[in-house]
Amino acid sequence: MTENRVGDPPDALLRAEAINKNFGAVVALQDVSLQIPRGEITGLVGDNGAGKSTLIKIISGVLTPDSGVIEFERKAANFTSPAEAREQGIETVYQDLALAGNLAVWANVYLGRELTVGPKILHILDKRAMLSKTGEMLERFIRNVPPIAEPVELLSGGQRQVVAIARAGAWGSKLILMDEPTAALGVAETKAVEDVIFGLKRQGLTILVISHNLDQIFRLTDGVWVMRRGRVIGYRQTARTHPDEIVSMITGAAASAGAGA
Amino acid sequence: MTLGRWSKLAALARRQGVLIAFVLLVASMFATTSTFGTYQNLINVLQQNSIIGIIACGMTFAIILGGFDLSVGSVTALASVVGATIMIDLGVPGIPVGVIGAVAACLLVGATNGWLIAWLGVNPFVATLGTMTVVRGLIYVATNASPRFGVPYSFTTLGMGRVFGVPNPAIIFLIVAAVLGFVLHRTRFGHYVYAVGGNPVASAQMGVNAARVRFAVYVLVSLCAAISGIILVGQTASATPQAALGYELTAIAAVIVGGAPLGGGRGRMGGTIVGVFLLGVVANGLNLFGVSPFWQPVATGLILIAAVAFDGYSKRGGFGFV
Ligand SMILES: Nc1ncnc2c1ncn2[C@@H]1O[C@H](COP(=O)(O)OP(=O)(O)OP(=O)(O)O)[C@@H](O)[C@H]1O
Ligand SMILES: [Mg+2]
Repeated sequence: MTENRVGDPPDALLRAEAINKNFGAVVALQDVSLQIPRGEITGLVGDNGAGKSTLIKIISGVLTPDSGVIEFERKAANFTSPAEAREQGIETVYQDLALAGNLAVWANVYLGRELTVGPKILHILDKRAMLSKTGEMLERFIRNVPPIAEPVELLSGGQRQVVAIARAGAWGSKLILMDEPTAALGVAETKAVEDVIFGLKRQGLTILVISHNLDQIFRLTDGVWVMRRGRVIGYRQTARTHPDEIVSMITGAAASAGAGA
Repeated sequence: MTLGRWSKLAALARRQGVLIAFVLLVASMFATTSTFGTYQNLINVLQQNSIIGIIACGMTFAIILGGFDLSVGSVTALASVVGATIMIDLGVPGIPVGVIGAVAACLLVGATNGWLIAWLGVNPFVATLGTMTVVRGLIYVATNASPRFGVPYSFTTLGMGRVFGVPNPAIIFLIVAAVLGFVLHRTRFGHYVYAVGGNPVASAQMGVNAARVRFAVYVLVSLCAAISGIILVGQTASATPQAALGYELTAIAAVIVGGAPLGGGRGRMGGTIVGVFLLGVVANGLNLFGVSPFWQPVATGLILIAAVAFDGYSKRGGFGFV
């Protein structure tokens, strides 16, 4: 019955089918099904506690669902750890926690995938190569690359998020999940982060972005999923909807909104 | 016009504060006492600080990781008691066995620390305070709190000998510092120590096995303590159960003075070496000026507090060299 829902996007990179997740007595997700179209920027909106973060955590392997299936590139993909998801090309950008502030930008970009030289067992870092390649990698997505030899903690919040997002896109990943990537940022910094997100799309990546900022959703996305109280309310192509419609779907104000569950 | 120069100087003082303090200290020692600069005295300073220095090299890893190891003093004593006992019983052919036995016993303690901290999530203070007390207690039980004499005299070459006039313990310290400095600053493992110390959650997200890094670090610290304990045997041809009491705090002080704050993520091996010798030269200076040795902990404590206060003031630890 979910197959022919009005406005379902074609060619899904990822599909979630009938996901349920409870935290004790709290029903966080109830029969959630959605698709993320390949190569697009998809928004995920909903009020506080709607279950958006929970859904992203399930897709990225941080949480396991109580029931339901995730399909990534048409293969079953119920990941049990973020590492597993990352191996398949799914990266997540968190609002904080994502970077080690005491390490330089290049070291963060290469954290966990360091380039080494010399005898294998010694794992001697090839700093020079990592420095120069970090520059190249970030330039693919970022116009003003922050100083890559500086510790991340010396960068502004916006620059940090730009680095975190560019890192997520730098490793041959296919799907990037972002949970409120600009929540803590000012106007100019938000703009810089949005530029990077567009940069990722230009490189052919698929993006799912959670945001409470509808202006941003309408600037960024090709389509948007709306959730309310643990359920999926529906999908709209951004070009064919209007903020008022999305708001009423989020709040459940108008009867016309509910096409879903 | 001179403002620029002053702010440059201030920035330098902030980054290299401890190194500058050390250079000034040594210079004033040279200026005020003729005995400080004598070959014999400088050798003494090297000799006396090598054992703490080796422990401090290991401690640097633990502190950058965001922890520390209180058990190193007990582990140093463990190495010397185990090593000396085996060497006394087996004689000259038993020397390698003694060394191996000492190292093995210490690695066991280090592995216990690592296991408690990395996998059981026990706070490093609690875990290493526990092993510190248990190991010291076991040493007292095993030795009945009496020293062990009669290590083959030839073994004192390790502790008392010199190569080109440099005491062997200092050479060992130099090698340990160079090797561990390389590991810390040039290898992936050292990189992970900084990463886990700076942000364990982010490191784990990026696939760094934080537990394995923690475990390895505490084993490494105990290995350094083992080396120190064995040198101790070489200096006295004996072992005392009370050996190395309080070394853990001196080593931690040296590392912190050297610019690695508790809390982790920061610090350099070069800083630790400066920290060790800063405290060492102050102790030596008090000695040369005829001040009672009881004042030495007072000086160490004051320097520690001053260094941390200065670091908090300038809010940027670490050194720009090595
Ligand atoms: N670890 C948890 N333990 C218990 N309840 C949880 C946990 N995580 C989420 N919840 C609950 O699940 C529901 C969905 O939370 P979730 O964080 O997914 O919402 P959200 O849509 O991301 O909200 P927000 O916009 O405020 O970030 C909420 O009622 C929340 O309290
Ligand atoms: Mg959320």
